[in-house]
Amino acid sequence: MYRRLLININQVRNRFIHTHNTRLTLPSTKCKERESFAPVTWATCTARPLGTSSISFSENKESSTCLSEDKGKTPEENEVNAEVNTDGQKNTEMNEGTDISNATLTSQLETEPVVKPEDSKQLEKTKSGKESLLELLGAMKVEVTTVRKIRPSKTPRMSERPDQEPMESTHSMFQRAAAEGSQQHGTLNPALVAAVSAAASTLPNRHQAESELLKQLRKHEAIPDTQRRADLGHIIADMKVGKRPNGRSNVRPTSQISFDDDGKGYTQDKGITSELGVRRRKSPFTSKRLNLFAAGAEQDTLSDLGPTLWDIDLANQIVQGTNQMPRNGFEEMIQWTKEDKLWQYPINNEAGLEEEASVPFHEHVFLEKHLDESFPQQGPVRHFMELVITGLAKNHHLTVQQKRNIFTGSETTSDRKKMS
Amino acid sequence: MDQSQLAMVVPRRYLLSEPPSAPVMASSCSQALRHHVCKSSRILRIHLQKSYRSFALNSAADQQPAVSSPEEIVIPKKKTWSKEAVLQALASAVKRDPTASDSRFQDDPYLTPKTSSEFKLFSLSQESGRNAAKYFINTYPKYFQKDYAQPHIPCLMPETLEAQIEEASEAALIERIRMRKVKAAVDLYDQLLQAGTSVSLDVTNQLLDLICFCGDHDPAQENVPEQRNEETEDVQDEPQAKKGRAPKASGLLKATWKENNNAERIFALLSEPNTHSYSALIRGMVKYGAYSKAFSTYTDLLNNRLKADVQTFNALIIAAPEVKEKYNEKWELIVDLLKQMAEQKVKPNLLTLNAVLKALRRCGTLGKSQAFPVISEMKALSIDPSLASYNHLLTIFYKTGATIQGQTDILQEVMNEVSGKSFTAQDPDDAQFFITAMRICLDTKDMEQAYRVHELLGVGENWRLLGNDFQQNIYYARFFSLLCMMENIDVMLKWYRDLVPSVYYPSSNIMRDLLQALDTDNRLDLIPQIWKDIKQLGHANRQNLVEELLILMAREKHNQEVQESFAECALDIKKIYDTGDRGKVLLSWTAGSLSDLISVLLAAHRRQDAWEMLKLFKTHNRVPSEELLNRFLTCVKEAGEVNQAVELVQISAGFCLPETPKLIQRVQQEFELTEQQRNMLSDLEIQTFNSD
Repeated sequence: MYRRLLININQVRNRFIHTHNTRLTLPSTKCKERESFAPVTWATCTARPLGTSSISFSENKESSTCLSEDKGKTPEENEVNAEVNTDGQKNTEMNEGTDISNATLTSQLETEPVVKPEDSKQLEKTKSGKESLLELLGAMKVEVTTVRKIRPSKTPRMSERPDQEPMESTHSMFQRAAAEGSQQHGTLNPALVAAVSAAASTLPNRHQAESELLKQLRKHEAIPDTQRRADLGHIIADMKVGKRPNGRSNVRPTSQISFDDDGKGYTQDKGITSELGVRRRKSPFTSKRLNLFAAGAEQDTLSDLGPTLWDIDLANQIVQGTNQMPRNGFEEMIQWTKEDKLWQYPINNEAGLEEEASVPFHEHVFLEKHLDESFPQQGPVRHFMELVITGLAKNHHLTVQQKRNIFTGSETTSDRKKMS
Repeated sequence: MDQSQLAMVVPRRYLLSEPPSAPVMASSCSQALRHHVCKSSRILRIHLQKSYRSFALNSAADQQPAVSSPEEIVIPKKKTWSKEAVLQALASAVKRDPTASDSRFQDDPYLTPKTSSEFKLFSLSQESGRNAAKYFINTYPKYFQKDYAQPHIPCLMPETLEAQIEEASEAALIERIRMRKVKAAVDLYDQLLQAGTSVSLDVTNQLLDLICFCGDHDPAQENVPEQRNEETEDVQDEPQAKKGRAPKASGLLKATWKENNNAERIFALLSEPNTHSYSALIRGMVKYGAYSKAFSTYTDLLNNRLKADVQTFNALIIAAPEVKEKYNEKWELIVDLLKQMAEQKVKPNLLTLNAVLKALRRCGTLGKSQAFPVISEMKALSIDPSLASYNHLLTIFYKTGATIQGQTDILQEVMNEVSGKSFTAQDPDDAQFFITAMRICLDTKDMEQAYRVHELLGVGENWRLLGNDFQQNIYYARFFSLLCMMENIDVMLKWYRDLVPSVYYPSSNIMRDLLQALDTDNRLDLIPQIWKDIKQLGHANRQNLVEELLILMAREKHNQEVQESFAECALDIKKIYDTGDRGKVLLSWTAGSLSDLISVLLAAHRRQDAWEMLKLFKTHNRVPSEELLNRFLTCVKEAGEVNQAVELVQISAGFCLPETPKLIQRVQQEFELTEQQRNMLSDLEIQTFNSD
């Protein structure tokens, strides 16, 4: 899609440059331009003589009209026509589509309103390109829709598909392309006028003028340009490819295929899609990434104030979505352990040591230091107390604090109970 | 205090507790003691290493100390065990017993469910009992103050549901926020502001969180996972993902984001809202459907030169498909958001990219082209895709109802990617993966992938991601329909024996598929067995299923043994017809079912039973077919029961069948009749003739 846009933009810009050239130099370049343009369109048409889509068809019609009626038309206007036609194509997409026989009729009908505003446009040169284009579009839409209403019994066009999505996307694609084009016209034409005047003053420094114009263009469209040579024929060819989303071809009624005399175009498209399919099959998971984020970029850590309500809700949703039912008794016990309903299965000998966990063992074992303060250094009391500390050293029911309390005489009755 | 005394004390806490750490102590002891301890610890370690490996909880690399010489002591790293480690090791040793029911029901054999409705009833009643108890404890906390547990178990004590702090203060506000009392908290906040007390930004943000989370409503009593009011009695094979979601969705729809609600009001009062405040507001707006409003709030945030956090972006990405109409516009908006994330140096998380994938589901064909780049992006950011990501991927490529071609390999690719991996739940959508994958297998009739999906289910803790009972039922229903369609009957029955009824209670549709599979593989002799299961699964009252069974039994001739078992089965079916459930008649006889049943009985030479059945035609106002009567007569002929033959003709005449004259003729020719019988027959002949 982006590529297409790029092409479109480039195409518009090319056209811009060309027009610039033609206006600056001679009408002979116009003819040249004309010639260089015409074969391309004809090429697309000869590739699909009867037109799997009416784009090429109407394009064909259009160019023939142009060639026959007014050869001296500027290429820019011719391109405008092409734009309009693509837009007409869009309308065709929006309505239920048309078959080949109708395509000729509609394209004939389409050409008429196209020609008319052109004349008016030639008359009012002062009018900005965008306005005239809009006018054209407005005229087109009305015309085409009436045509559609007259013919209710239409077999769906080849590119028309039963489900809405691909049609919608193609439609939007066209619309976008058209919108892009119209936007370009709107922004470019006044710029063109300015550039022409600038160029007139700075002649023969053509390149500078050109670069200036390019700058203008870049200002409006930030998308970088990579390829220059692209024209309407390319665009249409690309559109043809994009219009066929992979794997949808079978949805189309088979009767349509018989209508479609353009076997080549059909198979060609098929080939392209299958080729794409092959490419994807090779490595769908190793395809190119979006390249939006830098891979190693570390996020500046947000201040976390513990889980918010939203985090809790997310966790809750995840739990609700998944199966949390225990499969056996042990899993149920695990669940209870997590809920603290069950005394935890001892993992080591320190299980249940919560309050004493931070107390080193020597505090329990070496209790002599407590005798230093208030007990005599020798005698029966000392002897007795040494026995007491030996006993206490081996007593694992008491906490260190309780042991200390014994020496200070502040032990409680519960301590006494434990000692016995 | 000498060393021996020390050694006596030490083992209690160190030697036994952490065998690998024993050498630490040993090095500080005397040489002799060290030798001793080393030796014993080595023995101990060898023993424990064996058991550790079986626990599969520690890496073997840690546990390979070279104790070649007693001088060289390698101190292994201390291992910290979780408190569930032993239980987990034990639980991992328990395999599923295909003959046992779910462990929930093993306490009481009486409560072993036999049907899916029983299963639902029992599992729900267990949960609802728990809820009821909790409700009473919380409602009447004063009766539940005695603390029996030693040590204290907080989760068994009544929760305080009333606010304790009465006066207007920030502490009281925090308390109300913690209790999720939206109205009370908002009122208190207003009071505080009116009194001129300033509330800190953190607390205000918490309040905003609460209001936005609850949509400015007081939340209802919290639901417990098992409590769902699904009215769907029998899980059918329709797209049920929607059905399962229906109650939740309707619950959310009820509450909408109201213009100028308390959240917006309080937010407006903030002099300097920070990222958190905006985040809360935007998430609330997205949660309650004010999508475009969320985006305008986000613009506000940018205008205030703040950075959004990752949750805000996640919410906005979720909202993106709602605010745009066209597929490419949706996608452009999402890409734009992601670019802004990158600009603001916000690192996306799994949920961000899953939200992108989920949005791509609604972008038509664009989804197909962009899905894999998103996955690649995920990998480039070293975020492991969760099952939800793969689920979204599959749904992008396999739309329900659309014909599937060309992309069958996507499932294969996904399976290549995921198989053998153990997943943990990280996204609420994770639980959708298995049913989606199985749906695709069923749609594409891809047995191979189905096996892979099922295999994946057995890896690690993946079974948890199959979802609740409802989703399990869907999954297994799909798996079974596929098995019935694609597999030969022996494999099919192997699976059937394995899964039914310990994890799956098939619906009547699946049982019909099974019968058809039996039919195609010519294993109709298994029907009596299947009938037993049907009866046990509570589908015996399904008229069409029972009739299908009877048709299959009556259709062909089998060997004597099989016919015998068919006859037993048929009589069993007859019982179902006869006895209604609590006075209600479950099944009504049709002519077809009656004649099928009689043919089965006749084929097994149960003439007497068949004769009883024949009478039922009369009582139920059904008309027997000519074919059946002819067959019956042949059978009677074999037995040589003249009287019965005549009676049969009488019955036929009673129904005014056009076949009666032929029957009379047959009886007259084939049987040796008494004079009386002969007269009777000629009378009948005249009668039928007249009636014609």
